[in-house]
Amino acid sequence: MALLMDTRLLLRKVKDLRSLTPRRHRVKEKWATTRAKCPASSLALQYFDANYSAHLGELWPSVRVALLSERKYGALLNNFSHEDVLADLQARGCRDFINDTDTEAQPCSEEKSETCLEEESNNLPVKKPDIDDQLLSPLKLSPNIKCVVFPRGDLTRFKPARPDMERLLGYYLMDAASVLPCLALDVQEGHNVLDLCAAPGGKALTLLQTQAIRFLCVNDSTASRTTRLRKVLHSYLPKHFFTEKNLRITTFDGTKWGEIERNTFDRVLVDVPCTTDRHSLIEDDNNIFNKIRTGERRKLPQLQLELLLAGIQAACLGGEIMYSTCTLSPIQNLSVVEQAVHLARENHGISVEVVDLRPLTHMFRKTFHFAPDLHLGEMVIPHLAANFGPIYMCKLRRLT
Amino acid sequence: MGTTVAARQVFRWTVRASSSSLLSPPLTSRCLLQPRPASCGLFCSTSSRSPMQSSQHNHPVSPVSETPVTELSPQSLADMGFTGTQAEQMLETASKARGGRAARHALSTLTALLALGLNPSSVLKLLQKCPEVCSVKESQLQQRVGNLRKLGLVEGSLQRVVAHYPQILTVPVKTVKHVVVLLREKCLFTAPQVTDILRESPAIVLGDLAQVEFLFQVRCRHCFLERRGLYQTPDKKGQTIIINPKLDSILNVDQMTFLTAVAKASVEEYDVFQRLVAKEWLEEEKEQGSINVDGTYSEEEEEEDEEEETGGRSGYIKTRKRTI
Repeated sequence: MALLMDTRLLLRKVKDLRSLTPRRHRVKEKWATTRAKCPASSLALQYFDANYSAHLGELWPSVRVALLSERKYGALLNNFSHEDVLADLQARGCRDFINDTDTEAQPCSEEKSETCLEEESNNLPVKKPDIDDQLLSPLKLSPNIKCVVFPRGDLTRFKPARPDMERLLGYYLMDAASVLPCLALDVQEGHNVLDLCAAPGGKALTLLQTQAIRFLCVNDSTASRTTRLRKVLHSYLPKHFFTEKNLRITTFDGTKWGEIERNTFDRVLVDVPCTTDRHSLIEDDNNIFNKIRTGERRKLPQLQLELLLAGIQAACLGGEIMYSTCTLSPIQNLSVVEQAVHLARENHGISVEVVDLRPLTHMFRKTFHFAPDLHLGEMVIPHLAANFGPIYMCKLRRLT
Repeated sequence: MGTTVAARQVFRWTVRASSSSLLSPPLTSRCLLQPRPASCGLFCSTSSRSPMQSSQHNHPVSPVSETPVTELSPQSLADMGFTGTQAEQMLETASKARGGRAARHALSTLTALLALGLNPSSVLKLLQKCPEVCSVKESQLQQRVGNLRKLGLVEGSLQRVVAHYPQILTVPVKTVKHVVVLLREKCLFTAPQVTDILRESPAIVLGDLAQVEFLFQVRCRHCFLERRGLYQTPDKKGQTIIINPKLDSILNVDQMTFLTAVAKASVEEYDVFQRLVAKEWLEEEKEQGSINVDGTYSEEEEEEDEEEETGGRSGYIKTRKRTI
């Protein structure tokens, strides 16, 4: 068995390097002497085992098996493409989980959700609207964001999107749970929006699908990442869209945004770099759990905090900030938000409130599994039948 | 040693029987003339004789004995080395099995079994355990024994298997081959391991397709537990960080018990997981095949590169290859 694993690992490695490096840089890999004794992905697994089993408790085995198995994708439909791919995808058995949510199935688990709401503790200034059906149902979401997924338990894969006559691709494949932060951000007509850590561009693209944004600023910290971001945007958006008036692609250090542009944006998306749990378990190259990157990994929460603070500063009065990660780690999720709320008040005199996202999670509870009993924000946890996430999201509203 | 003893007995019996029942002299002489090493040689001789016997049996007029040689008689049994009581018991057993076409081959079966090197008492026990063996045609018996030999059951283990699990002789060669193919291809056992399995638990040949699925499931259950973090493959010293569940509690229970007591998962999860790993394994096989075939970079991969640059589309290919 161990032997089998080893050979598989080797094969995996060989394949990896080949497909990742450009052909002109391909060299024969030395794999006899220099192979790490413990690959980064298994270090990641050890780390998660130690931390998340305490944090998630009984849920951890189920999350673990999902993380180690093939993930599911969602196809974000590109409204700028001329091809009507939706009908085609629906014919294959997909459904748009955003627009045909389970209105008919809603009453069935009503009691359950209410009991679980009552259990929740009220430690932080979370604004809780009275959750009634009347309030839940008219949750306003942009009707233009369409994301299709295969139904629960269906393992079919999407085909790569084909370009239409203007060479725009019909859909973008991404973790369907990544759409949730964008949906929850609730972009309205004429908004100025900032995406602080935008690469590779899935979330920015989702925001653009609303077709309500007046001006979008997408930023990422390094040139290579913005190049990638630019490529993605160019293969999904028509040429006339790329004007100074509409869109700005920048390469700044996001943590300094508070110094560059304060009190400007109606909506800010802070999708911070994190330990990218799923990715760290699969990929050995450039893995954040690599020994050489330990320092970087330790500094992540600090970096996340700074980014979120910068995002808060960049938002205008009454503006909303969405903090999201793709990790299960509470240190990178809840703690960061708590600290940011605290520091924003202490250091910058900005008070923010946490916006309750439960109407949203309630609406999508059939498509995703949400972590129970989080006192701050919401988290999609992977599950074999609905292998999306992990995605943590927490929405803040700036009050002063 | 037992083999030679038995061989001698069979020789003795053959000579007597042939002389009393007017078997053609050339055959007898051939039998005696060809010196062969113990049982194997004898086997050939018995097999060559069987058509003669049956032809003789078909003869309407049998001048000497009222009961043909193929029928069991105390005399023939005594000739074969059975004691009086053993012979009685043997006749009783044979008569029990005598339904329809059964027991017609009793004598030849006995001969063959003795020729295998089993002593009369174990032959008796064997037949009491499984009287159906008597109804197997001798040529089939030969084939089946030959097949088992081919599968690596050498002298000693073969006798042991036959004595412990005589039912194995009632299973057609084809079925055994199917099981072996399954063990090797689906369950990834090596040839020596398959031999071990046949030796230790020959009952596997009678396990039907449900058995097949069960065997396949074994790996699935382990993988499931492994990915849930409830099972670890022991290192080379046999150590694990966590305490693994007992093998018995993984394999020897039905699915529901396994899921609730050991894996602590829902049926839905396990169902999805089974389909997922089946898919993974299939792709793995394909991938290994393709690597073996072409070591060079193919056109396809260049395409992959391009796709990767365009973002979103590449994800699948990556995950698929690197899933543990």
